[in-house]
Amino acid sequence: MTIAAGGLPQLLGRPYRYLRLEWTSELALLRVRQCVRPVPCFSLAGLAELQSVLDDLHANRGLVRHLVLSSDVDGVFNFGGDLALFVLLVRARDRDSLRLYGRRCIDLVWGMERAAAHDLHTVALVQGDTLGGGLETVLPFHHIIFERRAQGGFPEVLFNLFPGMGAWPFTIRRAGLAVASEMILSGRIYGAEELRQRGLVDTVADDGAGEAAVEQVVRSVEPRWRGTLAALRAQRDTVPVTRESLLAIVDLWADAALALGERDLRLMERLARAQARKVGGADEGAVEELKRIELASAWRGERAAERAPDALA
Amino acid sequence: MTAFFGQLVLRTDEARRAFETHPTVVDALARGLSVERYRSLLLELYHVVWHFNPVSAAAASRLDDGLRDVRYYLYGHMHEEQGHEQWVLDDLDAVGVPRAQALAHAPLPHTLALVGYNYWAAERRHPASVLGMLYVLEVIASVYGGAFASAVQESLLLDGQRGVSFLASHADLDMQHMATLREVLDGVGDEAAREAVVESARVNFHHFTALVGQL
Repeated sequence: MTIAAGGLPQLLGRPYRYLRLEWTSELALLRVRQCVRPVPCFSLAGLAELQSVLDDLHANRGLVRHLVLSSDVDGVFNFGGDLALFVLLVRARDRDSLRLYGRRCIDLVWGMERAAAHDLHTVALVQGDTLGGGLETVLPFHHIIFERRAQGGFPEVLFNLFPGMGAWPFTIRRAGLAVASEMILSGRIYGAEELRQRGLVDTVADDGAGEAAVEQVVRSVEPRWRGTLAALRAQRDTVPVTRESLLAIVDLWADAALALGERDLRLMERLARAQARKVGGADEGAVEELKRIELASAWRGERAAERAPDALA
Repeated sequence: MTAFFGQLVLRTDEARRAFETHPTVVDALARGLSVERYRSLLLELYHVVWHFNPVSAAAASRLDDGLRDVRYYLYGHMHEEQGHEQWVLDDLDAVGVPRAQALAHAPLPHTLALVGYNYWAAERRHPASVLGMLYVLEVIASVYGGAFASAVQESLLLDGQRGVSFLASHADLDMQHMATLREVLDGVGDEAAREAVVESARVNFHHFTALVGQL
């Protein structure tokens, strides 16, 4: 039975603007749908609302047994960081605010990472594009479902940056160092099946079948919920990711951001325009723009390699 | 404790997002502007730019020595911005609006509200309010100006910076402007002045968003 979130105790009935909550009492399941529009990204206000949900859940252990995160925006799960805010802080040379933004993102992924310790089983349902911070956010989830059309990747290197909110440790834990290096250092965008083959995604559902896949996962875990959570706590203790290491990476990320040049910021603007086109209903969007940037970057690399012998001669 | 610039970014972020996510802005970034809409934008911008220095001068005249650094900063900034309204007129001319027609244009009520608020805030609210106006105009120029200029260039098939010189050059100029403005804002310690800056930034974003929405 699904009832409105107002049926939950007051602490979960907050008036969210960028989230839509649904409660299924039979399974003690909380659905959180992100609806930052028109460009779904981690705006400061959107981050604050997600953090508020997590804080409430952690403070009320046992109230919710399963948490499912998805997006309400057609074709996009999350484009990651708020590019305009990011460009603003880089142009202002404001390292402290870049770190603060990074730390807020870390608070979120850390809350997801610690979910099992708070008796919370987590599932992420990705039905559209998820880039950079959008992908980093789902990696600590216990079970990750992608619909077949969904794509994901870490494009940051294409504009001279790297994903600094957990991509390295969480990708290494799920898929190993080789896959993490390939993904982060190439900036490539991967299809759902490619991500599953690399171990980043647990389940690939046909387009439109993601919701059924979520129910199947939750119903299969529910009878053995306590044991599953105990096992997941042990899993995280076996291959731990520490908050300190995540925060140290954010500091490196902020330093790298301040070193960005005009070309890099222009590429970000191109990406922002492509995001706007996608949410405006165009067939092509940020992912296609990134593939063009990736191709151009590879082309420049080949041309440079071709010229190198001449230079030596 | 976050420095004041960081606080200003945080406290006005929703107002900035309201500008960025306005359907007219999203559409303009994605697909550019029709020539009619672009002309309308420049005609309104002319008034905003024209009044920039007089508003700054009004504020500077009322800033006491407690905010001496802000006053000195305004002197330099006014010098840099001098004559930029002529760039807008040149761009208007390049897209088919002769100077006489541009000068005869009656600004929209939102533009009058924006300009009027900034004079009133400088003279009656708090002279430090001017920094809120500067912050908003720098954000719009340095964060969105380049993308706007590219979108307009592509959609109107303009040659180089002809017709977009104001938008494109401000996107470049304001790179260093933003870093300098952060230093000035971080130096504002007075609580009443800080609150005035935050209020002014919110109001400027509000009016600018409404102005763009009317194009």
